[in-house]
Amino acid sequence: MEGIILLRDILLIYGLFAIYYVMTVNALYFAVLAFSFKNIMNIFRRSAYSKYNTLSGSELVPAVSLLVPAYNEEVTVIENVKCLLTLNYPNYEVIVINDGSKDDTLGVLVKEFELEKMANPEMRNSIDCQAITGVYHNPKYPHLFVIDKPNGGKADSLNAGINLSHYPLISSIDADSLLEKDALIRMARQYMENPEETVAIGGDVRIANGCLIENGQVKDFSLPNKMWPMFQAIEYLKAFLGGRIGWSSINGLIIVSGAFGLFRKDYVIAVGGYRGGYPGEDMNIIIKLHRYMLENKLRYRIAFCPEAVCWTQAPDTYHILSNQRKRWGRGNLKNMIENYDMAFNPKYKVMGLLTMPYNIIFEALNPYFKLTGLLALAGYVALDMTQWKILVVFGLINFLSGYLFSIGALLLEELAFKRFTKISDLFKMLFYGAFKFFGYSQLGTLWRIQGHIQYLQNNNSWGAMTRQSWKEKSETPSSA
Amino acid sequence: MFSHVTVAIYFVYVCLGLIGLGIALLFYMKIKHLKMLKMKEHYRLKHQDYFKFIQSHLHENSELPVPPGKLAPLERRVIQDKLAELIEQFKGELRNRLVELCERAGFVKDEMDQLESLFFGRRVEAAYRLGNMRAHEAVPRLLQMLRKQKYSPLTIILGRAIAKAAKQEDQLKEMLTLMLRHGKPIHNLAADVLLETDLDSSKLLLQFLEDGNPDFVKVALVAMWGQAVPEVIPALDKLVGAEEKDVRAEAVKLYLSSNPVLKDETIKQLMSDNNWEVRAAIAKSLGSLHAAGSIPLLRNAMRDENWWVRNNSAESLAKLGETGFEILCETALRGSGVERETALFHIEKVMSEGADHHAVDQMVSFNKKRLLYDRYFGVTERKPVRKVAAVGGDYSA
Repeated sequence: MEGIILLRDILLIYGLFAIYYVMTVNALYFAVLAFSFKNIMNIFRRSAYSKYNTLSGSELVPAVSLLVPAYNEEVTVIENVKCLLTLNYPNYEVIVINDGSKDDTLGVLVKEFELEKMANPEMRNSIDCQAITGVYHNPKYPHLFVIDKPNGGKADSLNAGINLSHYPLISSIDADSLLEKDALIRMARQYMENPEETVAIGGDVRIANGCLIENGQVKDFSLPNKMWPMFQAIEYLKAFLGGRIGWSSINGLIIVSGAFGLFRKDYVIAVGGYRGGYPGEDMNIIIKLHRYMLENKLRYRIAFCPEAVCWTQAPDTYHILSNQRKRWGRGNLKNMIENYDMAFNPKYKVMGLLTMPYNIIFEALNPYFKLTGLLALAGYVALDMTQWKILVVFGLINFLSGYLFSIGALLLEELAFKRFTKISDLFKMLFYGAFKFFGYSQLGTLWRIQGHIQYLQNNNSWGAMTRQSWKEKSETPSSA
Repeated sequence: MFSHVTVAIYFVYVCLGLIGLGIALLFYMKIKHLKMLKMKEHYRLKHQDYFKFIQSHLHENSELPVPPGKLAPLERRVIQDKLAELIEQFKGELRNRLVELCERAGFVKDEMDQLESLFFGRRVEAAYRLGNMRAHEAVPRLLQMLRKQKYSPLTIILGRAIAKAAKQEDQLKEMLTLMLRHGKPIHNLAADVLLETDLDSSKLLLQFLEDGNPDFVKVALVAMWGQAVPEVIPALDKLVGAEEKDVRAEAVKLYLSSNPVLKDETIKQLMSDNNWEVRAAIAKSLGSLHAAGSIPLLRNAMRDENWWVRNNSAESLAKLGETGFEILCETALRGSGVERETALFHIEKVMSEGADHHAVDQMVSFNKKRLLYDRYFGVTERKPVRKVAAVGGDYSA
């Protein structure tokens, strides 16, 4: 009997610890959200009261090399490149890197833009990367280059792109994403506000599933029709508006999305370029930049520009989504393990004292604390059914605090951007914001743990990823 | 234990309360916004004839009429926005007529009142709108706001509003001083803001070029980008030898854009400058200046540590007739490392562009280059020269 009482007490103590853990995590989320609220009106003013028509035709804007790694993107790549070639930006080049695609990515590009292999492309070899097979170009499209290389991963492709790039700023863009016409000029404007200290700027990534897309542009904004992309639409809103605005305001941003970011090339080269051979290269490059700048005592900022929008295709099946999340879980864990020395180290300022500990304790380890806490409380209640309330309280804390964060992100959206133009959109967002806590969040926890297991098993595959043509996508909402 | 659960329950209550509040706020904001959009559209349609009338009578001498009837605040805002849009589209007298119309319609006064609002957001919005309406009477107040403003994106918004509305050069100068006082190297953005002015910017830029403040000089240099008029050459002559490397680089670029006649000594000095931007600029210009005497310097510059200097030197050599092209071929054949790679790239570029020449003199020049090419790389069918892997790295941006 005493053993059972002892076990029950241990379970209760651990369960209470888990409750406080969840409350602390959420208090931190809300603190970050508060920073986002503090900055949102300035972001709104910056966006609403800046005209880009003069700037987008001005020689005063810095030239940018857009790097577009493409692996098996034959379905979407033409639309994307056309979109990129018609941005409102005065001076830029587009470098597509075909990363040994098994489909006809290179073939469709060569055919569409009548490209020819350059005899002696001048690669600068600033960063190590696999030897390239060729560079394709057509003087009719002087700002388009296509690099063909054996498969080496996204990071390797970006490094190859950097080696060919001609301009001091680089922008990484996913081949399954579409940039808004003003996205790059908005980012460049933010860069020009503090060019010496700005080493990277992240853009806002939004879900294009459900939107009407014509000629590489989002013509009509709609929320996704399917369940999986809808969950992700909420998640992206929370992460980008709720999280990244706040983190960037204290210079503690740990990631600039691989889908759309702008970087100073000299610093990317100084940190050795992107780390190959493992997912999570977008987080890794930002950690490396923080480390480099802080170790060399250089003033810097890693900014976030939520008004620069990139639309991306979200996975719309369980299989693809789970692969993507496991990959993210692996990448995240790898980055934390590689950079554990930064955590709690005052030398790394906000990054060392806040961002890294937060990411290790409250992001990487989050699934374990939550899961074990739940099991402990369930065990405790099983031993003493009269205490069922504690289990309900644990569940409610998880659900309500997460839901409150979603509502905070929706308020930020409504204050600054107002992209959802229908009342029904708001209902839908509120519904999915709540619904995601009944199954989807738990799956997220499971995928993250599976990602960690894959990391321990040295499973380093990218996983399946299929693409749907933008044209097909744009037909979906109109027929729906 | 009870107290722990109580804390958690309070947490739940707080969350529930905030969720209820948040949802109510969301619906309020959404409904308000949608209603406003609907009303704006309604007013736009209602005043469509007025807008058409204004546009069609803009070129006439008669006074433009103010908007008819008693207007609701949102209605006034819609008309003001449309007039501001037209002000951006026109210049000179037509713009002045629209500006004057905004004043008579009371839009300027409305916004001037808003400049005194207790709400910061309203003051910034009013500043933006007053700038759009070129309201020069607002400039002293806007300068005061800029003086108090900590450096942020709003600094640029205020600066732009002042640049648009200013009627005196002193006001522009003060605006620039206030924008640049934070020590941020925002010369390009400041130049872009400055060029918004309706005043004669060329005169102003010339003054800045001779100013003792290096920030003003930098703004003037980047604002003149590639448009060096003869009047600025004496000032540039001095700046080319400036201590500060940014100023020197910009001055050299601007100076070279006027296609000057350069002494051999000057070329030599610039080609050995410790700032790569200066070396790259002079290397680039030597091709267009047809400075054949500088071929040995360009040949050496192909070994420069900076990619832009190497690339521009090779590009210039390719432009310097057969002699320059032969140097490229020789480097490609006998050189090594990066200089060889650069030469190969530019040789191929010349050969691939050759087929596009149509003018007789261009065809003759190209044929001579092809003969040289064949001499160096073989007479048989034209194949691209062997690709050579680069040696070492290049860490320049």
